[in-house]
Amino acid sequence: MSVERYWQIEKVNLKHNIPVHLLVCLALLCLSPLLMGVSNLEAEDTAKVLEMYVALIGIVLIPPVFLPEQNREIRELVGSKYMNSAAVYCIRLLGNIVILALFLGGYVWMLTRNGCHFPVVKYYFGAYAGMLFFGALGLFCYGASDNIIIGYMVPIFYYVAAVGSGDKYLKIFYPFSMVKDSLVEKGYLLLAAVVLAVSGIWLRSRKN
Amino acid sequence: MFGQLFLKECRETARSLIYWILVGIMLFFFATQLGETEIAREPEKGQESYGMHQSEDPDVIMRNTLGTLADEYYRESYTTYPIGFAKTVKPDKKEQKRIGEILEEATGLDQGEIKKTMEEYYGSVTGLVAEMPMEPVDGLTYKRFKELMKEVDELLGGGSHYGEQYLAANGIEPMTYEDAIKEYHLLVEKDGLSGGYARLFSDYMVIILGILPVFLATTREMRDRRAKMQELIYTRRAKSGTIVVSRYLSMIVMTLLPLFLLSFLPLAECIKVAASDGIRIDHLAYAKYILGWLLPTVMIVTAVGMFLTDLTDTAAAVLVQGVWWFVSVFTGVQGIDGGAYGWNLIPRHNTELNYKGFHDGFVQLVSNRVLYVSFAIIIVALTVGIYSQKRRGRLNVRGKILADRKSKS
Repeated sequence: MSVERYWQIEKVNLKHNIPVHLLVCLALLCLSPLLMGVSNLEAEDTAKVLEMYVALIGIVLIPPVFLPEQNREIRELVGSKYMNSAAVYCIRLLGNIVILALFLGGYVWMLTRNGCHFPVVKYYFGAYAGMLFFGALGLFCYGASDNIIIGYMVPIFYYVAAVGSGDKYLKIFYPFSMVKDSLVEKGYLLLAAVVLAVSGIWLRSRKN
Repeated sequence: MFGQLFLKECRETARSLIYWILVGIMLFFFATQLGETEIAREPEKGQESYGMHQSEDPDVIMRNTLGTLADEYYRESYTTYPIGFAKTVKPDKKEQKRIGEILEEATGLDQGEIKKTMEEYYGSVTGLVAEMPMEPVDGLTYKRFKELMKEVDELLGGGSHYGEQYLAANGIEPMTYEDAIKEYHLLVEKDGLSGGYARLFSDYMVIILGILPVFLATTREMRDRRAKMQELIYTRRAKSGTIVVSRYLSMIVMTLLPLFLLSFLPLAECIKVAASDGIRIDHLAYAKYILGWLLPTVMIVTAVGMFLTDLTDTAAAVLVQGVWWFVSVFTGVQGIDGGAYGWNLIPRHNTELNYKGFHDGFVQLVSNRVLYVSFAIIIVALTVGIYSQKRRGRLNVRGKILADRKSKS
């Protein structure tokens, strides 16, 4: 299978599947200066902005990977094609996580330009891990339930639980650890993100 | 017809996966946030700590607030919390000069003395300078103090420590035995013990109810389209109002049902303690708070979910409600101890105590809740209108009816 075909799939994804989601992500990022401070922040406050706000765009952009085949008939039609549907999901997912990386990069660059003091590389990867985890959790729940709303609901509740209970119950999967200057949890979140995303795609592909 | 549809919708809701996830989340949230709540007993003399409370003493509030202001003025950097996230505000020279004048008027110290005080403080103490109190000038009335602080808050763009709504939070101090006894008696006599805990229950549960019902509503409204039943239902004899309202009410009732059941657990605890301590308890407190505090939030969130889903045929309601929830939760953090309810969708009162705050803010709270109930009714009426239009083949952005009409024209 040629790279061209992969690129073709991603082009269709960009053109037809996620433009609205991209706009929502951009709107959320662009509106953030109205909601919170994004200049002259110390490391702790910068971590709060990245982990508790910017990471949420993962929920917007990753779960819709399965959305084009929401309709069962379309799913069956796609399943009958030569190309494995799991490969299509993987390409879309990779495309979306690259876009997330670019959005986060742009946002972190803006924070540094605005005089925020924080360890850039460390916070970039920490926030990215959190973003991927929230998104992959949604993707897995969508894949398991065949319901996009559940795909949004579960990661949002995870977020609420983290805000409400801190790390008491979530332990190594606590998503706001950078505020406490700890990056260990991010490694576990990244690992969980990979497991959840792979499991979600596997579940969804089986349903075809 | 209405009764039949209502019961049918309740059964549909009870059979849906999302409803049981919603119930599971409520259970989890209740267990983790309120599961370890112990019912208060009368404080005893000699306890190590009696907790913290918001002092109503204007002198305490003025001292603490002026200490914070002096510190921020000295650093020329002010922290505000427009929605709970820190925002650093650096005022321009003119604004900074005016804040300096206000500080001079409130403390009676000139610029040099303020600077010297802060330098001495930074030189001698490590820790939060915000805890450093600064005495107000003799003769400064609380009314004038509030006017001055309001001006500072306006200069900083709002959401600062100096806004009228947040001044009380600056008066936070450790409770003495006498304070603790006073609070306890208010809890027992005015709140009938269970009232304070019903408020705490509502405070926690309203956080998740500010978002959860939208998932239920969105799923329900999208289900007909996914099952390709939309057009079939459109042709039925039932009025649009009957269909939409029965659906809406069923979701409200089914959302409230687990709340009522959950409330029996803390109520039973209250009854047990009240029986052993000889306290007269308010048995209906939880029911009153669920209907008065939580129901309006459930109503408006469900209405928004139905309206946007019917209008757009997408899950856009989740995004809209998600943003509204996010802003409401983080804005509410500054009024977390109760009393400052404002117009927030998620009114907070994170303590079984502070009856006085609740009492003083009661009219505002009632206005807040009535407003959201009114909005919910209006939005449901609009949803009925949209549903009715769609039955006639209009407003179908992506449906087959529009496609059919186009192909025929």
